[in-house]
Amino acid sequence: MSRLPSRYPGERLFSFLLVIFSIFLLWRSYLISGFSELSSPGAVPIGASAMMVLASCIAFTQSLKTPLNQEARFFYHCFPPVVGFVMALVLVYAVVLEQLGFIATSIIFLWVALKVLSQRSALWSLGLALLSLVLIYVVFRLIFQIVLPEGIIPERAILAAISRFFGGE
Amino acid sequence: MKKIILSTLAGLALSSTAMADFPNKDIQGIIQWGAGGSTDTVMRSVSPHAEEVLGTDIILTNRTGGVGAIATKYVNAKKADGYTLLMGAENPQMYKVLGLADIDYSDMIPVNVLARGIPMLVAQNDAPFNTMQEMIDYIKANPGSVKVGSTGQGGLASIVMAMIESEVKLDVTTIPYNGDGPALTALQGGAIDVMPAVLGAAVQHIKAGRMKAIALVDNQPSPVLPEVGIITEALPGLDKYLPYGPFFGVFVKQGTPDDVVAKLTDAFTKGAQAEDFQTLMNNRGYGIMNLSGQPAVDFLENYRSVSSWLVHDAGFSKRSPEEFGIPRP
Amino acid sequence: MEALNYFALSWLSPELLALTALGTFLGIYVGAIPGLSVTMAVSILISFTFSWDVNHALCLMVGIFMGGVYGGSRTAILLNIPGAPSAIATALDGYPLAKKGLAGEAIGLSTVMSVIGGFVGIFVLAIAAPTISEFAITFQPRDYLLLAVLGLTLVGSLSSGSLAKGLFAGALGVLVGTVGLDPLTAEERFTFGIIELWDGINVIAAMIGLFGVSEALHQLHHLDKAIIKQKISRIIPPWADVRRFLPLSIQSSFIGVIIGALPGTGGDIAALMAYDQAKRSTKKPEVPFGQGAKEGLIAPEAANNAAVGGAYIPMLTLGIPGDAVTAVFIGALFIHGLNPGPLLLIEQPHMFWFTVGNLTLANIFVLIFGLTGIRIFSKLVECPKGVLIPLILLLSVVGAYAINNSVVDVWWMLAFGVLGYFMRLYNYPIGPVILGVILSKLMDENWRRAILSERGDMGQFFANLFSSPLSSVLFAAIVFALFTQTPLWTRWLKPKLFTKA
Repeated sequence: MSRLPSRYPGERLFSFLLVIFSIFLLWRSYLISGFSELSSPGAVPIGASAMMVLASCIAFTQSLKTPLNQEARFFYHCFPPVVGFVMALVLVYAVVLEQLGFIATSIIFLWVALKVLSQRSALWSLGLALLSLVLIYVVFRLIFQIVLPEGIIPERAILAAISRFFGGE
Repeated sequence: MKKIILSTLAGLALSSTAMADFPNKDIQGIIQWGAGGSTDTVMRSVSPHAEEVLGTDIILTNRTGGVGAIATKYVNAKKADGYTLLMGAENPQMYKVLGLADIDYSDMIPVNVLARGIPMLVAQNDAPFNTMQEMIDYIKANPGSVKVGSTGQGGLASIVMAMIESEVKLDVTTIPYNGDGPALTALQGGAIDVMPAVLGAAVQHIKAGRMKAIALVDNQPSPVLPEVGIITEALPGLDKYLPYGPFFGVFVKQGTPDDVVAKLTDAFTKGAQAEDFQTLMNNRGYGIMNLSGQPAVDFLENYRSVSSWLVHDAGFSKRSPEEFGIPRP
Repeated sequence: MEALNYFALSWLSPELLALTALGTFLGIYVGAIPGLSVTMAVSILISFTFSWDVNHALCLMVGIFMGGVYGGSRTAILLNIPGAPSAIATALDGYPLAKKGLAGEAIGLSTVMSVIGGFVGIFVLAIAAPTISEFAITFQPRDYLLLAVLGLTLVGSLSSGSLAKGLFAGALGVLVGTVGLDPLTAEERFTFGIIELWDGINVIAAMIGLFGVSEALHQLHHLDKAIIKQKISRIIPPWADVRRFLPLSIQSSFIGVIIGALPGTGGDIAALMAYDQAKRSTKKPEVPFGQGAKEGLIAPEAANNAAVGGAYIPMLTLGIPGDAVTAVFIGALFIHGLNPGPLLLIEQPHMFWFTVGNLTLANIFVLIFGLTGIRIFSKLVECPKGVLIPLILLLSVVGAYAINNSVVDVWWMLAFGVLGYFMRLYNYPIGPVILGVILSKLMDENWRRAILSERGDMGQFFANLFSSPLSSVLFAAIVFALFTQTPLWTRWLKPKLFTKA
């Protein structure tokens, strides 16, 4: 990011939203325990949110003074469609992660993201998605025993069957 | 490859039909507290023995948060098939009166209550008292000057203090810490004077002469520290609450089939009998309980009624124990 | 002589040697992957090594510890995603170096400096453990409070543009750190009645979001940009460089040992403080801090590895954990039938020199494994963006989930990712947010303990500030830290003081 004394479109709005957000938090901090005691649970939150209100107000006034960068367009320089698309994709991924399970959602997420961003063939993307997923699954689930959401694919039963098969029972 | 798929399918069919040969896949153990905590240590050392008996892996996962409520809710949201175990400490027994959750161990099936910690009072070496009676006298003579560590309202320290206060009013300055480990460190640095803690956490420091034991909050002396007096010598009225102490147990969801519970109970009973587990618990100053079935239920019930009423009488409960039909001790 | 025997125990037994090597190797990868933490790895090893001999188990765990603390710098330099909070400061100058095509050199330098830091930590552990641990436990709540405030003055060094924006970010971090059930009174703060918020917002989730996800989103602007070719001709840093930076790395290491030895503060705070100290004392960096200054890479790396030795100091001598990892080690020792505590070194005197020897060995393996395989790692940055970004996002999601096996952390990571994206866009610094989160609990809890200890009497609080030498020194340090951020210092005094030197 350039440090020239100019601002990108949207900075005023963003700074203004931060002011509102800070005021909201200051109010919530006050609700914790009021101004009862210096050692109350709300003391530090009130201090921190008051600082946020102050600092965000200063930042907002500064943004009013700085001239707009004339060449910058919001949907090109600040928030191109691809960023919005990826944000939405990750969001959907996180929403369905627990219901559908890690394997099913991750493979679709990776496939779509790789296909769109790298602009290679569908098969190539699917292959790479599978490969990286296997790698991540082995590291997290099998080596470090982190139980990822199981969802619709009965992993534990499959794993047990595989180990029985290799165990030669 | 074909064979793998076939046996996989066979495995699938097996898991859905035959409950008889429990367990036929990994069991998940959900630990309420974080890595390195005492619950974690206890569970990680008993599980390998239970695994041997069960013939399957128990994958241990720490799911911390909400004073253990998140793990408790998680296990209760799973199927009641015995493949998800809750490995917890005493905390859920207070959820109802503290308004933290509407579920506690009386809504689950205890597989095994493994061990119990013995609470005690320790003081920093420079404190001008050595016994319970001297401590009470000193606090009465110097109101507000003695700093007592605490682990938050509803924590063990607050309950021990509530027990004492139910007999004798004391004016002390309470300094909260998040856990008895940090509080005992602060005690050695002189930031606090007295700390109610479990024997296991304090015993090594006492033996090394870095702090002194005031009294055991129990109805009998401990073989680990035989020379330390018990609290009922100074406050006989506390006898009705004792024995009392934080515990560690393994639980499954209500509705788990009896034969599955029986298999798990057998595995953890044998696990708790293992020699190195016994040595570990003795070294840490915990009393082995190894309770299952009705005795476990009775113990849990007593713990719940003592703590709920103490907390309620001390005035920091959110809801009355009566609402939940918890009897007075 | 006996000490030497135990020191060499793990060096001479092929099995122990191999286990230490394996542990260090695994540790580097555990450290490098955000979401896999050393604490987690060591506690999994507890059940895994349950039936082993205690020495074997310890070798593996010590290796993971040493390797893991070092490993956090890898992804910080290459992808701007710190593998652990202790590598946050490393990313500030490490990633700009990688963007210039100097990833290989940056990793090489950070490896050597980590190892030097590691040795300083071990050396202090070996010669001064009892003295330092006695000193460390005399820290009162008041002193921890001052330490936290001192840490917060770093906001100035971490914000390059507008100070107001930096202060906002720092305060936001402090506030984020207070979310959840108050650990002291169990009062709900900003939980809105949601049980998943009781435990607060995980610092690692916030870190992965602010650094990893927001960086990945920003990279989307440059999908078509040519890939930066990495110069990997020189990996082992030239001797002249090592010698030039040696004083700085030693100074940073001492900060690391002390902060590491304090119960309640660890490598993350140590690294940030060392970074700040380096920025303050470096007279003329070749490149400004934040744009790829080597000093900014060296200081945190030396400090966080020195903190390993520091964390062992109270653990071995008093049975008090110096950080989260040594807390798990204490559990492991119990399980293996030892009694970690103030009597450990009386009952098991060999433990001390065995650990010192083992740490030294693990540190040597860090050097070996750290300097090999850099080529492959550097290639990572040369990966096409369209391939790298989806993988970073997936790894961020898995990493966030793995922290606590919970989707809630994934949500937070995403929220911070989006917030971080816009903060970067509008020149709000993100470093102070993480700084605030890390220091929030330390400040909040100790502020309240300090006030409660005086029964709410502020006059008494200030009087005690000057009656204890330690508190006075810390207070003076804060005043100095604030003073050095005034124009009087940066424009006039600093050049005068340092040009003669």
